[in-house]
Amino acid sequence: MIIEGGGTKKGFGGLVEHADICLSLKDYKGIVEHNPGDMTITLKAGTSYLEVQNYLAGFNQMISLDPFANEHTSIGGVIAANDSGPKRLGYGSARDAVIGMRLVYPDGSLIRAGGKVVKNVAGYDMNKLFIGSMGTLAVISEITLKLRPVANYQSLVLISFPAGNLDVIKQFVVTVLDSLMEPITLELLSPTLAAKLTGRREYTAAIQFEDVESSVHYQTTYLENLKPEGGTFTILQQEDANLFWQAFYDLYPGLNAENKTKSAALKVGLKNMEVLELLEVTERLESGQIHLLAHGGLGHGISQVYLYGESDRILSAIQEIRKLTSAKGGYAIVKHLPFSERLKINIWDESPSYFFLLKQIKAKVDPNNILNEKRYVGGI
Amino acid sequence: MKGKQIQSKDKHIHQLAAIVANTRSILYKKEDLLAYDCDGFTIHKHLPKAVVFPKNTKEVAELVRYCCQNELPFLARGAGTGLSGGAIPLNGEVIISLVKMKNLISVDLENRRAVVEPGFVNLKLTNSISDKGYYYAPDPSSQSCCTIGGNVAENAGGAHCLKYGVTTNHILGLEVVVPTGEIIEIGDNGIPDAPGYDLLGLITGSEGTLGIVTKITVRILKNPEAKQTVLAYFDDVTDGSQAVSAIISAGIIPAALEMMDKTAIEGVEAAAFPVGHPKNIAAVLLIEVDGISAGIEEQINQILSVCRQFNVRDVKVAQDEQERSRWWANRKTGFGAMGAISPDYLVQDGVIPRSKLPEVLERINQISEHSGLRIANIFHAGDGNLHPLILFDAKIPGETEKALEAGSACLQACAEVGGTITGEHGVGIEKREEMRFVFNEEEIAAQTTIRSVFNPVNLLNAGKLFPSPGKCVEIKMEKKAAIL
Ligand SMILES: Cc1cc2nc3c(=O)[nH]c(=O)nc-3n(C[C@H](O)[C@H](O)[C@H](O)COP(=O)(O)OP(=O)(O)OC[C@H]3O[C@@H](n4cnc5c(N)ncnc54)[C@H](O)[C@@H]3O)c2cc1C
Ligand SMILES: Cc1cc2nc3c(=O)[nH]c(=O)nc-3n(C[C@H](O)[C@H](O)[C@H](O)COP(=O)(O)OP(=O)(O)OC[C@H]3O[C@@H](n4cnc5c(N)ncnc54)[C@H](O)[C@@H]3O)c2cc1C
Repeated sequence: MIIEGGGTKKGFGGLVEHADICLSLKDYKGIVEHNPGDMTITLKAGTSYLEVQNYLAGFNQMISLDPFANEHTSIGGVIAANDSGPKRLGYGSARDAVIGMRLVYPDGSLIRAGGKVVKNVAGYDMNKLFIGSMGTLAVISEITLKLRPVANYQSLVLISFPAGNLDVIKQFVVTVLDSLMEPITLELLSPTLAAKLTGRREYTAAIQFEDVESSVHYQTTYLENLKPEGGTFTILQQEDANLFWQAFYDLYPGLNAENKTKSAALKVGLKNMEVLELLEVTERLESGQIHLLAHGGLGHGISQVYLYGESDRILSAIQEIRKLTSAKGGYAIVKHLPFSERLKINIWDESPSYFFLLKQIKAKVDPNNILNEKRYVGGI
Repeated sequence: MKGKQIQSKDKHIHQLAAIVANTRSILYKKEDLLAYDCDGFTIHKHLPKAVVFPKNTKEVAELVRYCCQNELPFLARGAGTGLSGGAIPLNGEVIISLVKMKNLISVDLENRRAVVEPGFVNLKLTNSISDKGYYYAPDPSSQSCCTIGGNVAENAGGAHCLKYGVTTNHILGLEVVVPTGEIIEIGDNGIPDAPGYDLLGLITGSEGTLGIVTKITVRILKNPEAKQTVLAYFDDVTDGSQAVSAIISAGIIPAALEMMDKTAIEGVEAAAFPVGHPKNIAAVLLIEVDGISAGIEEQINQILSVCRQFNVRDVKVAQDEQERSRWWANRKTGFGAMGAISPDYLVQDGVIPRSKLPEVLERINQISEHSGLRIANIFHAGDGNLHPLILFDAKIPGETEKALEAGSACLQACAEVGGTITGEHGVGIEKREEMRFVFNEEEIAAQTTIRSVFNPVNLLNAGKLFPSPGKCVEIKMEKKAAIL
């Protein structure tokens, strides 16, 4: 059986072409319970992620996640794939937001994990097992999330570094991180990505602030005084910041119909400052044959790389990037790649040394290997 | 081998001593073991077989392998401040104490992480980095003595977890000796989201039943630019509770939002750190906001106006760091302060949806009247985490049982309004049966199945966390069999 949420991650994992049943949760949608006073919400897994965010905006609340989503993306898919974007620095990721789940186990039993309260240590923290498990352990039927108030005000600062000197960028970032400012994002965009979004082919830092208005202005002023020589400094306020992020998420190849073939996407994990080295590699790989867009969070170490070109070029670029990640003890997961190419590469990068435990978890929870065969790490 | 000779006829004691290579690193005589017959949950007691003090991961792994090969039950122990009995050697375990593994291994400010050994004391981490403007966020009230290894095992919380999250939100990597003796490293280099099921999240909060944590990579944070602390006094508990919900609904996430009721105030005022709370007040809220200086005043004003809306009698803003520290000392020593007004007390740890505060406080009041025992309430009100403190006198026959019963009734009240039975102190021995208030047999079996992956023979900390398997499973299985 394969499980389908919104179907926006068809290029992610999945090495088997046939299944007996495709269990689609597309119609299993809706809000089970929203308690504005408690700031928690329980959703059916097929609920559109963006629809919920729009609904919650009416209460000045939000799910504190920023996945690469379009109108089809389901909350179940976001959580099952553990997707997150630049705002993870300020918001945290799925493991910080999910407080409860209702699961259908492979034997059909209904199992609750966690609960409806924001603090809970009763028994094992079972939620964690299913977040990011790509539907290989159970079908998530309901998800309870803790919510966050929408900040009164937001501004996005874009600072470009025309000289492209990574030491200068690092110095700047270290200063910001060591300051008392509280950025929600500290994302560095590769020159190629910046060209698409801002029209300037220069390394660009995208730094978002969300707080009461006076605090946001105070922080953007601080940054203005710190801006590097020759760099441009742009502030996008309120709705303009949203528009920028919209364009930013839309570039994700999985969401972009015309780009679905001849494209790939990676999720790369490194130590915070090593993001700079990754972007340097992607910049170096850029050529007439292959085009790369990249961005990475200097406050959390997670980057995304999009690759466009003929498949052999894409595969060899991925190998180059993995040289860096394996030397640094990080990883590069292939989040999007056409089916035929997926068989030629290890989607999940190297399995961890404790893979024997992962395999046993799968074997105990899904002994007949019913769910999403070969979709996950090490052929799970 | 250094030091005195081992005076025991038990070959295991000699072998265990050989592994830690120092006779001073093992305790095995009854008089020495007495100090280890319980932790912060003192109602249950049991003597361990021995207590060993390994100095490094290799010794821990060897001890674990030895226990496995010889079928000796064993468990890990940090500072022994746990409040649910997690470190109590129910089965005469060999206690593997991590207190000698107490080094701060490294601090990496640029990448905002620190690596510590499990016996490193929570507060020492903040103290070691505060001069550079950084801190470690989880701040259990016991932070001056509890270990970070124990915090990981219990997924400890604290007053400032409302805004910054509990232990699990701050753990980036763990080195663990699993119960079969293998050493595994999860989240190498502290990089998040490593491919594979999230064992980091699973092991954190597993109360020492899935493995022994031997190294921890934690996230460290920059100190906030500014802080402001407020005390608000209410004549009516319901007003106070409603103010809590209203503050958060207004879009403010305070760094901390604590509440104490009348009995609790009586206790803290009679103890070591009185701050002069008025005597005849029904509830006090201790509210702290932090963040960018330019935004603090706006938030404080909003909080003050919410409090006024709910008939606050009086509000005070801390004038300086000294005053703020005194208020916090008064709150953080709150449990112990009950000793000033009662010979014994039992701490409970339920969680409820914030909006149910008034209703549940009323229920706790009824439980108190029904049992004839006074109950003080100290709680992390912002996240709905209640700590009813049941005051009793163990010397009066039957009173301990009554206190346990009242505690259980408080947890049931929490579960019934959609809450849970523990927010930070863990299940341990104490709340095993209460697990049934929130999970059915199948759900408990789903969890013990995971335990069996790590802990197949169940020699590590057996008998904790889960209720003894009930009859209903058997009946269900019989039914299934009948259908088949
Ligand atoms: C009739 C039909 C037949 C198909 N046959 C095949 C086939 O044989 N082989 C094949 O590879 N693809 C097949 N597909 C494509 C399939 O839809 C996707 O490959 C994929 O399994 C589901 O889509 P997604 O990953 O984009 O979902 P997303 O919603 O983006 O989900 C991402 C990941 O999370 C999992 N997930 C989503 N929601 C939940 C949930 N609520 N609980 C648990 N896990 C969840 C998904 O399984 C996936 O692993 C078929 C599709 C259809 C319509
Ligand atoms: C006055 C007081 C106030 C408290 N306030 C708070 C509070 O505000 N918030 C809160 O969350 N808790 C609080 N506690 C509870 C307690 O301090 C925490 O649970 C703490 O995390 C326990 O740490 P410890 O080192 O004392 O662990 P121990 O009590 O020694 O052990 C606790 C459990 O962890 C296991 N364990 C210990 N070390 C390891 C390891 N290295 N690997 C695997 N398992 C291990 C043990 O087997 C046991 O099951 C308080 C306790 C007291 C006495």
